Amino acid sequence: MSRNLPQSQNRRDLLVRLGLAVGLAGLGTQAWGQAGAQRGDPQAEQFVAIEAQKVLTLLADRNVTAARKSAVFASLVDEIADVPKISNFVLGKYARTITPPQRAAFTSVFRTYLQSVYQSRITQFQGDTLKVSGSTVRVPGDVVVSSVVTGRRDTVPVAWRVLGGGSAWKLVDVQISGVWLAITQRQDFVATIDNAGGNIDVLIAQLQRNARSGG
Amino acid sequence: MSRRPPLVAAPKAGRTLAVVLGLAAALSMGSVAWTENLTPPEAVAVTVETAATQAASLEAAPLVTPPQDPWRGFNRASYGLNRGLDRLVVGPVARVYRAVMPGPVQRGLGRVLDNLREPSTLINAGLQGHPKRAAKAGARFVINSTVGVLGLFDVAGRAGLDREPADFGQTLGRYGVGPGPYLFVPLLGPSNVRDGLGRVVDALTDPVSLVAGGLDSDFGLGRAGAVALDSRAQAEPALQALEAQATDPYVTLQSAYLQARAAVVAQATGVTEDLPDFNIPNEGVVLLTPPDRNLATVEPIY
Repeated sequence: MSRNLPQSQNRRDLLVRLGLAVGLAGLGTQAWGQAGAQRGDPQAEQFVAIEAQKVLTLLADRNVTAARKSAVFASLVDEIADVPKISNFVLGKYARTITPPQRAAFTSVFRTYLQSVYQSRITQFQGDTLKVSGSTVRVPGDVVVSSVVTGRRDTVPVAWRVLGGGSAWKLVDVQISGVWLAITQRQDFVATIDNAGGNIDVLIAQLQRNARSGG
Repeated sequence: MSRRPPLVAAPKAGRTLAVVLGLAAALSMGSVAWTENLTPPEAVAVTVETAATQAASLEAAPLVTPPQDPWRGFNRASYGLNRGLDRLVVGPVARVYRAVMPGPVQRGLGRVLDNLREPSTLINAGLQGHPKRAAKAGARFVINSTVGVLGLFDVAGRAGLDREPADFGQTLGRYGVGPGPYLFVPLLGPSNVRDGLGRVVDALTDPVSLVAGGLDSDFGLGRAGAVALDSRAQAEPALQALEAQATDPYVTLQSAYLQARAAVVAQATGVTEDLPDFNIPNEGVVLLTPPDRNLATVEPIY
């Protein structure tokens, strides 16, 4: 009994020291983060904080049916994102050669595709809490807002690229764990059209097939 | 040949499973890139510029350059082979694991494996000249291995010490080594010359393997198997999305991998980002090459 006392005291000491170390390290980290933070565009940050949180809350809600979730998510994407601008961007060099009928067909199928991709990618990291950590103004009206989304296992860095000004902003791209969705789509689509000898109809048909199969 | 005594004795039958899962680890590496977690970025991303925007971004440096894929034929064939093996062997195993194992157990195993990587992170963060990140990795390892019950619980994370993984490919990138040609090796997944070398160095210098045993020990094999299973299971939703949504899965995976690695390197360098313009048609791409910032016109990447 008397030999156990010093051991338990040692354990307590160790825990206290560990706690102090953690506390000090945490304070240090926090101070470091604050020192490095650069204010970009507070209004763009506010837009992301509100709208992106809406998206996360919806996708994390287990009481909403999948069909209802998809429908609400689709309307949220239309409201938050600049779908026409993204549609043009992902066509890359082919945005200049696409015919009006092709553009109409592509825009229609791409809207469905975009909603599906955003929903599946954002759902994958199973996050429900978003914290905006700052923003970078590329040029006035073009801002990348950095955030951290707390997932079940880890925190995931998510950046939101928004265009606009004042209180009117539109989302054009999302970067999850280092990967920009629209940039990836552009490389994917252009490669597909390139491999089809420049035939944009092949891409449109592929996206329509994907949409029919639920992709 | 002497063998290091294992710290964790694996059953004989488990050894075969571990080898199979080791194979699975290699197979799943491609998908890991798709889902690989980064630390919350100070600045991440891509530098691809049109001529119209170059003047505004002379301070930026390129993080994603046009994919160098001179071995495209070999890479595409390798990717096809990998895809077939994944459909037949690895994918089904991962899906059974996800279906049978409760979520908290899966996440706990993942945290244990993440914890075992912290000493390697400590070394690489130190090599990169980031003593605070190195100290944080060390503190995380000590705290989570003790208070966190061998890493089962991320006590350090809850105390504000978030995980910031580092690897040797990132270290090389930190000192200006470019990614080199893209390479997709059967059973090893997507990589490039720099990060492939980085993987080898990380495997050879991993302190946990050096102390507890590498692939020549039961512990090492068991760990490799567990990493394989965890990585592939984690990647399952992303792989499903890749198959369902990408019009050219090879290019999509390549793009995701290279962007993710560029972002990882950007974490170490702290380089600010620049991005393709959404408003101007893509007439061409001009990359700014640090440190001398010489302008070099290259082919459009899209």
